[in-house]
Amino acid sequence: MSVTGTEFSESRPCQTRLGNYLWKELPDENKWADCVHCGMCLESCPTYEQTGQEQHSPRGRVYLIKAVAEGKLEVNEQFMDPVFACLDCRACTTACPADVDVGGLIEEARGQIRQAIPLKGWQGSLSKFFLHWLFPHPSRLQSLGGLLEFYQKSGLQKVVRKTKLIHVMPEHLVEMEGIMPEVKTSMRKKYKDQQVIKARGETKREVAMLTGCIMDVMFSDINESTINVLTRNGNDVRIPEGQTCCGALHVHAGDREMGRKLAKQNIQAFENFETVIVNAAGCGCMMKEYAQLFRNEQEWLERAEIFSNKVVDISKHLHETGYEKPKAELKTRITYHDACHLSHGQGVRIEPREILLDIPGVEMVHMPNADRCCGSAGIYNITNPEMAQAVLQSKMENVPEDVDMISMGNPGCMLQMAIGVQKYGRNQRIVHTVQLLDWAYQKESEVREG
Amino acid sequence: MKVKIKSNDGHIQKLAEIVGGTRSILYNKEDLIAYDCDGFTLHNHLPKAVVFPNDTNEVAQIVKYCSENKLPFLARGAGTGLSGGAIPINGEVIISLVRMKRLISVDFENRRAVVEPGFVNLKLTNAISDKGYYYAPDPSSQYCCTIGGNVAENAGGAHCLKYGVTTNHILGLEVVLPNGDIIEIGKNGILDEPGYDLLGLLTGSEGTLGIVTKITVRILKNPEGKQTVLAYFDKVEEGSRAVSEIISSGIVPAALEMMDKVAIEGVEAAAFPVGHPKDIEAVLLIEVDGIAAGIDEQINQILEVCRKCHVRKVRAAKDEHEREQWWANRKTGFGAMGAISPDYLVQDGVIPRSTLPEVLERIKQISEESGLRIANIFHAGDGNLHPLVLFDARKQGEIEKALEAGSACLKVCADVGGTITGEHGVGIEKREEMRFVFNDEEIIAQTNIREVFNPHNLLNAGKLFPTPGRCVEIKKEIKDALLKS
Repeated sequence: MSVTGTEFSESRPCQTRLGNYLWKELPDENKWADCVHCGMCLESCPTYEQTGQEQHSPRGRVYLIKAVAEGKLEVNEQFMDPVFACLDCRACTTACPADVDVGGLIEEARGQIRQAIPLKGWQGSLSKFFLHWLFPHPSRLQSLGGLLEFYQKSGLQKVVRKTKLIHVMPEHLVEMEGIMPEVKTSMRKKYKDQQVIKARGETKREVAMLTGCIMDVMFSDINESTINVLTRNGNDVRIPEGQTCCGALHVHAGDREMGRKLAKQNIQAFENFETVIVNAAGCGCMMKEYAQLFRNEQEWLERAEIFSNKVVDISKHLHETGYEKPKAELKTRITYHDACHLSHGQGVRIEPREILLDIPGVEMVHMPNADRCCGSAGIYNITNPEMAQAVLQSKMENVPEDVDMISMGNPGCMLQMAIGVQKYGRNQRIVHTVQLLDWAYQKESEVREG
Repeated sequence: MKVKIKSNDGHIQKLAEIVGGTRSILYNKEDLIAYDCDGFTLHNHLPKAVVFPNDTNEVAQIVKYCSENKLPFLARGAGTGLSGGAIPINGEVIISLVRMKRLISVDFENRRAVVEPGFVNLKLTNAISDKGYYYAPDPSSQYCCTIGGNVAENAGGAHCLKYGVTTNHILGLEVVLPNGDIIEIGKNGILDEPGYDLLGLLTGSEGTLGIVTKITVRILKNPEGKQTVLAYFDKVEEGSRAVSEIISSGIVPAALEMMDKVAIEGVEAAAFPVGHPKDIEAVLLIEVDGIAAGIDEQINQILEVCRKCHVRKVRAAKDEHEREQWWANRKTGFGAMGAISPDYLVQDGVIPRSTLPEVLERIKQISEESGLRIANIFHAGDGNLHPLVLFDARKQGEIEKALEAGSACLKVCADVGGTITGEHGVGIEKREEMRFVFNDEEIIAQTNIREVFNPHNLLNAGKLFPTPGRCVEIKKEIKDALLKS
């Protein structure tokens, strides 16, 4: 099977077909050839846990995707349902004895579905607005952030909540409005004219940082903490200008064309750096998988592989290159949630836990099934609110009651878990791993100065 | 309750009403195709529908409806069975029991627990381990297989050498009979009730006599101590001799597992490698458990036996973590074959332990003749051999070749005085091979028992037994005619 992707124009059947896959960028047969249908993945899958139905299980989805290639099924609405109901949490990849890349296969199948059945109507417009108009453009995101900031600070938020205007929104959006983090200054804006943010003390190495799209608007304080802990530990930090959204949301949604475009832009933007630091698990996982987007473009495939090897999660980077243990004490009981794209996606589990345990006064309470998806899954909680809620509920049942904070390494999870805390009447604070480390460092300097 | 269904089929409508809604029934081709096979993928057939009852009552109503309307039906758990017991070869209505997954009660004092059939095997141990108890039968699929399915197949597992298979742990069953009646066997959870051993008959009946809806199982206290040994052998004969000598020395290991060269290649290429050398012919995994005081002595004895049998390298696990890694490597062995082959067919023969070297030699010949690689994973302690025939279904004729090779392996097992299944069941896969161990009269004697429970053969028809030979059928017809007159 050799298909050179660039030869075909979008949304037109290509000459090479695989069963009933008629569109550009055929799914990779070798991915389902690895699956022997043993079922070891079943219990790892949150949607199977909720439904008990095979077509909503990893091996069931793989089986359906294969069935289309064998000509037994067509790419239609009924096929779309199980393929798009997958959270893309990758828990099955961890459970699978044969290393079947279910996540990659799902994304390829979504690529076929989106070409065969383009989104229409309001769904289409909404997806175009977010995925094409907004996320890839930092300046637009910042303007929107400004609007959000205006909404929060002008008193408009209070008015909306008081006048019950809020009840015209669907339930899950109301819940989301309730936990919207306060918008702060974007790090890209803050360091716009600064070539390099110098390490405090001796420079040991130079790193480049992905600021992310939503991350830098909604969670710029986490970006700031990331810069602080990096410079504190001998890293000169650069924020390359040309970088953009990682494209994960696009690829999850089946828009591989746009995903590829963004990937190329990032590969170029970071070409001159040795290490690319990411503090959002979803972005990190996507960037480590860029090669999958270029199976049909040899030159870019090689560049993507080189790039992916440079991408590292902040906790792993600190763990590998060494970090100073904070001396000040943060008296707090915490629990740790494994973001799917950090644990299942990148195999990063021990590193953040060890960092947290190195902070004096931090007591870690074990969370059962810590690497179970919280239901955030990119924008899944917006596209599949009902399933996301059910998954969140079973997640919250595992969060220990007697902790002050829940720590994790992914902004999507942070929003979703914040909804969980609010919805189920809990009172934990949601924090990113690097924030806790940063606070401990800050407290240390306060103690020293005081 | 009236339910809105996008189907003109009256039966679908009626079944949907019984289970109370569209979320508890599947009838579109796109959904059904995921149910056209179970862990045995070489036969596929679409079911008529899949229903998801929530309790015994709904199961009974579905069964009654199917029975009255002559619709074939069968029960399904997690669908991890390896002999095709849950494949709807007659276009059955599949009754999926996965939503009946409650742990109903645990009685530590009397050491028993009551579960629904969809409850996952390992979850029982997880639920009671903090009190120091566990559920002993541990099929390798225990992460996901259901206890209901374990009862149907009389599932075994690595630790069944010392503790026995599922049937030794079942104290009571609630069963929906093929006419929709609900009965209880072993009502008080007391073992060995007077009368016929119906628990024994039901357990392992492969879903052909009734549908189990509630199960009382025995739970055991965790052993005080546990230790595991790993041993590498350059020659299969030597590993095999070590197995026999360990048993004959009087030790009853909790588990005694063996993998051959091809199996090692598979598990090392897959998700849980532990660094087994590639050039050995056999690896043994030996576990002892029990009162802490005697463990070290038994381990020393085992090490001694292995050395006597020219082991290349042998050692005990240094900690629990290492022990778990060794077991994860072994227990994911079947799935791991996906890493070295697109498809596999697993066989399930039982042989006298002492015949292992001879049997492996003959399996090697089968492999050479068929041109297909065969890996061997072996519950060596109880002689339960799993030859895994590796093939590629996309290549023309390979499925047939694999089936032939698998059948030939079973013939070898039967020829050396063994049998054709130890724990995976007969299903549709080994129906014909039943003839290796039973003659027509013996098969008829068994189908006569089935007729008592399942007279119209609507429940999981066509499984477990081959169609009897023509002459026997005629004989039976004559006999029936005589009886009637």
